[in-house]
Amino acid sequence: MAGTIPNAARRSAGHTSLRRRWFSRTTVVVLAAVAGLWLLPIIYMVDVSLRGPNDAFDPAIVLPSATLVNYQTIFHDNPLLGYFVNSIVVAGATTILVAVGSTLFAYALSILRVPVGRLIYAGILMTLMVPIAALVVPVTQELKGFGLLNTYAGLIGPYTALGIPFATVILVSVIDDLPLQVQEAAIVDGANSWRLLLDVVIPMVRPSIVFIMIWQFITSWNEFFLALTVMTDGEMKTLALIPQQYSGVYLSSPGALFAILALVAMPLILLYLLVQRWFVAGLLEGSVKG
Amino acid sequence: MSSMTKVASLARPARRPPEPRLLGRRRTHYLYILPTTLLFVAFVLYPIVSVVAMSFFSKDSASAGTGPLANYQAVLTDPIFSTAVVNMAIWAVLTITIQMVVGGSLAYLIETHTRRTKAVLRTAFLIPMVTSVSVVAIVWQQFYAPMYGPLENLLKSIGVSMQGISLLGQPSTAIYAVIAVNIWMYTGFSMLLYIVGLHRISSEILDAAKADGATGLRLARHILIPMLAPTTKSLLLLGIIGTLQTFALVFLMTNGGPNHASDVFGTQIFRSAFRLNHMGYASALSSITLAIAFALTLLQLRVLHTGLSPTGGGNA
Repeated sequence: MAGTIPNAARRSAGHTSLRRRWFSRTTVVVLAAVAGLWLLPIIYMVDVSLRGPNDAFDPAIVLPSATLVNYQTIFHDNPLLGYFVNSIVVAGATTILVAVGSTLFAYALSILRVPVGRLIYAGILMTLMVPIAALVVPVTQELKGFGLLNTYAGLIGPYTALGIPFATVILVSVIDDLPLQVQEAAIVDGANSWRLLLDVVIPMVRPSIVFIMIWQFITSWNEFFLALTVMTDGEMKTLALIPQQYSGVYLSSPGALFAILALVAMPLILLYLLVQRWFVAGLLEGSVKG
Repeated sequence: MSSMTKVASLARPARRPPEPRLLGRRRTHYLYILPTTLLFVAFVLYPIVSVVAMSFFSKDSASAGTGPLANYQAVLTDPIFSTAVVNMAIWAVLTITIQMVVGGSLAYLIETHTRRTKAVLRTAFLIPMVTSVSVVAIVWQQFYAPMYGPLENLLKSIGVSMQGISLLGQPSTAIYAVIAVNIWMYTGFSMLLYIVGLHRISSEILDAAKADGATGLRLARHILIPMLAPTTKSLLLLGIIGTLQTFALVFLMTNGGPNHASDVFGTQIFRSAFRLNHMGYASALSSITLAIAFALTLLQLRVLHTGLSPTGGGNA
């Protein structure tokens, strides 16, 4: 992603360019130092998880010694894999359903112009800003009535419903800006609404769909409030609930607790490192317009 | 017309000019909107209606009398409610302004002064946001801990003594200690949206401004800040909504304590509904939260004329 702004900065002429380059170098060094400080809590988390029992309460951020004994303890004692599977199922299913639901809806609204679509969209827009805190009580009651507490569907349903508005707003704005000629050409060639969506529209908005999916996966994986009230059975808990559960168990053994924290945090940090390129690209794609 | 004013105009259908319908009207087209509509009705619309109904009709030992407004009276006269309002006001002001200023500065410096390190720096500030809030809460609890927490040590090395004070354990400092963690988590988000905003400013405008000798603060004041105003508006609204739904960090770090000093609506809703079984009270407080969110949404759509997309918007 070559930004447009640095070009502007670099193109400045003459004797100021040397001074400017020196300023840029200094800025990079300062930014790197700030970023390092910013990441101290993460570094500290990993380091404590690698400490033996005698060092666990040492106030240093990083100690030279390292041991994997905490990881052996927690894997030996706990069914962590089960929680991991719960999180994968809930976040994975929600991500796919949000992508499908919002794409279909945005397409129906922007291109098919389904008559009641605009009305429903206005309703969705009104609730775009509804805080999850305000819905926890009625949603939990509703799920209880349907017998959906402690089921995957009990989280996937509300997460999908709450995720679709944001995704739809982004997709509608992107699809609205697609050139009409391409769509008209496809229709002249005999495409029906389904083929137009699959062959023309989806390929053109793919970066935005990828952005939506990454965002939704992160949000669902980390959601805490609804998960806390819906998944009350030990076996059904998602990873986001696990640190709190173990903070009491490993009170006197921060090394083991922090090993659990690191294990909960790492999958998503690694995933983000893998996809950050597409995440930022999708965000820029969806919004850079004249 | 920019994408975001388009979004806003969709909420006012009457003003939208008619455009050609490419594939005509077909009944089957309704199938495309069916899944989203069903989910929306089941998990957003119905819960909203039911929580408002419960706020009027559900009665419990916390309700003030038997009238339809008994639960609202109970909430509004509760000293915890006013504490939470004050805490959330402090929360909104501090998190929104600091995240904007720091995030905006980071965005500008990273986008204009870095090349090879750009992706690494962007990612570094976004890592706290993708880290599970429950992990963040426990790591920072230990970070803040007196005696063995690293913060006291770090501050000592620059000559500041915490004198064994527990920042999370004191009523006067608890909410600020949690706010600091929220800022640490979400400054990267503000940075990201400002990066998007900066990319929307055309390089011709920047070049022209620089050719006129606008640099540093003058460039910021006359070009960057006005042109990033749509992003700033979005962050303002998102920040207020974020404040309304604050729960996990406070719940996990202080549980609203000590003695309710750091309570917010979220912790009070959870406690009254799931610990005390005061469903009427919890529903009334939920409805108040909803009403504030609706008012803000209307304000944004009708008055500020900005879109609701978190990526900001407006004309470049």
